Amino acid sequence: MRYVYLAKDDLGKFIDLLKEKHRVVAPVKKENLFVFADISGGEDMSLEYIPTIIPPKKYIMPQKESLGKFDMGEVSMKDTSIEMEPTVIFGMHTCDIDGLECLDVVFHKDPADPYYKKRRKNVTIIGYECMFPCDEYATCVTMDTHVPKAGYDIMMTDAGDKYILHVNSKQGDAIIGSGNIFKEADQDAIKKELKDLREKKLPKFKRALNPGYKELQPLFEKSYNNTGVWDDVGRRCVSCGNCTAVCPTCYCFDVYDDVKLDMSGGERGRVWDSCQLNEFAEVAGGENFREERSSRQRHRYYRKFDYPVRKHDKFFCTGCGRCTRTCMAKISLIETVNDLAKGEQDV
Amino acid sequence: MSEDKKKVRIAFFDFADCEGCQLQLTYLNENFLGLLEHCEIVSFREAMSERSDEYDIAFVEGSITRKHDEERVRKIRENAKIVIAYGSCASLGGVNGLRRRFSDEEAKEIVYKGRDSHLEAGWPRPVHEVVKVDHFIHGCPSNNDETIKAVKSILLGKGYTPPDYPVCVECKLKENVCLFEKGQVCMGPVTRAGCGAWCPSWGNTCYSCRGLLDDPAEQGQTELLEKYGYTIDDITEKFDLYNRCRMDAEKEAEKK
Repeated sequence: MRYVYLAKDDLGKFIDLLKEKHRVVAPVKKENLFVFADISGGEDMSLEYIPTIIPPKKYIMPQKESLGKFDMGEVSMKDTSIEMEPTVIFGMHTCDIDGLECLDVVFHKDPADPYYKKRRKNVTIIGYECMFPCDEYATCVTMDTHVPKAGYDIMMTDAGDKYILHVNSKQGDAIIGSGNIFKEADQDAIKKELKDLREKKLPKFKRALNPGYKELQPLFEKSYNNTGVWDDVGRRCVSCGNCTAVCPTCYCFDVYDDVKLDMSGGERGRVWDSCQLNEFAEVAGGENFREERSSRQRHRYYRKFDYPVRKHDKFFCTGCGRCTRTCMAKISLIETVNDLAKGEQDV
Repeated sequence: MSEDKKKVRIAFFDFADCEGCQLQLTYLNENFLGLLEHCEIVSFREAMSERSDEYDIAFVEGSITRKHDEERVRKIRENAKIVIAYGSCASLGGVNGLRRRFSDEEAKEIVYKGRDSHLEAGWPRPVHEVVKVDHFIHGCPSNNDETIKAVKSILLGKGYTPPDYPVCVECKLKENVCLFEKGQVCMGPVTRAGCGAWCPSWGNTCYSCRGLLDDPAEQGQTELLEKYGYTIDDITEKFDLYNRCRMDAEKEAEKK
């Protein structure tokens, strides 16, 4: 659509402008890490951050949510509609935007998930481009998510004493149109400036995965029986479920009924689930399809690098590095994938 | 529920324990009143003086230690339709299991020095090692949210199965900074959830008070603790604190 400038000194005013009509959530510091949280002003947020503990998917697919209420003896549910005030997710990294695009593919597929759809419609995404790699765990270069492409309403790029804002949707345009802090300029000149900034940025981003983008899925196609790698990962894994909870593309949930104390009815809800947990693949009769930790870990990797590519033509790994960062057993996605590639060479 | 419907009669019993789990129930406030719509409490030493031997559900709190306790809990089992092991002393053996590190003489010497001629040390066991237990509510102390959930589920005839996933699951959903991240050591990865990650959410490490999972990653957790500089003795101590009885039982089973 179009590009405008925002002076860095006006960042606080930008947040104030957004807050007139939206709830604004942004990365804030939590101990030595970061989380997305409500902010009351620009001073609350930390725009220079490594990926938050849980990705901002929590605003569209909350950890736990009510799906509706029921009365005992009634077949149909009531109170199934949800309310969500217009919300701006401010400062989202490109990896997390990619993650949201993965969830969109899954939840918007016919029949769309009404809860997700409603929340998603009420969310405006203002991205913040990474000009430096966050840490040694990210694989965004291989996953091709380190440069903004799509999926946002506005993208902000640091350009010294100002930000370049790429306005990418009607929603974004309406926000820019409602304020007087944005400076219009020659579009070609801004584009050129952005191009130069990215040329300087890209050499700083190094590839961590040995297989390239196009080699990844074929590698997984051949690695299912690489027991050396999967057994090693399984032995170290404690099945804490951290890797899936922090993944921007994991979307499995469990549905539960919570009955009221007077037993007259109750609430049906859903809560995030994880394929890493022992109970996940257990079915009636007690059979468990993935009893071993190694098979559960393998399943996770295949749900990122193989199955979704076949089904949705899209990797469900955004390269954010959260699964590696959060793993107390230090199971590393980079090591696992590179080990698989090494095994492939040995064969 | 109609007025004339027969209420379920509930009784509470305590054995070797601090009665802290029963005390938790007195914090239920209005939820307690809600429960009383379906239940009648017939014995509850912590909160009332009346008592009765006619009950449907027995909440058994505490570990079973002496011969006399065995007889008493067998009688309770005979009287009750449903027996619930309530709190970790009852459901796991809990901290009482630490007593198993010592011989009878040593234990008496340490605890009852000078009075050990007329006091017994006993052998602490979880309730299910003595009588059949229908349902387990873990925790030290038990968590009221889970207790309510379990009681509702039992009253509905569905029984109650505690979660078989680790505390980390509930901790991460709260977006806590992992204690391992802060250089602290936590038993969360091998401990049964259901407490809402109570301790880690308030900055304390998990002591495994709800007991190990059905299939804990003992090797993974051991390697993990070693990575953080813990010795085998330290690690055994961490597993022992609440899980001694279960670990003894597993060793016994292996021998057979």
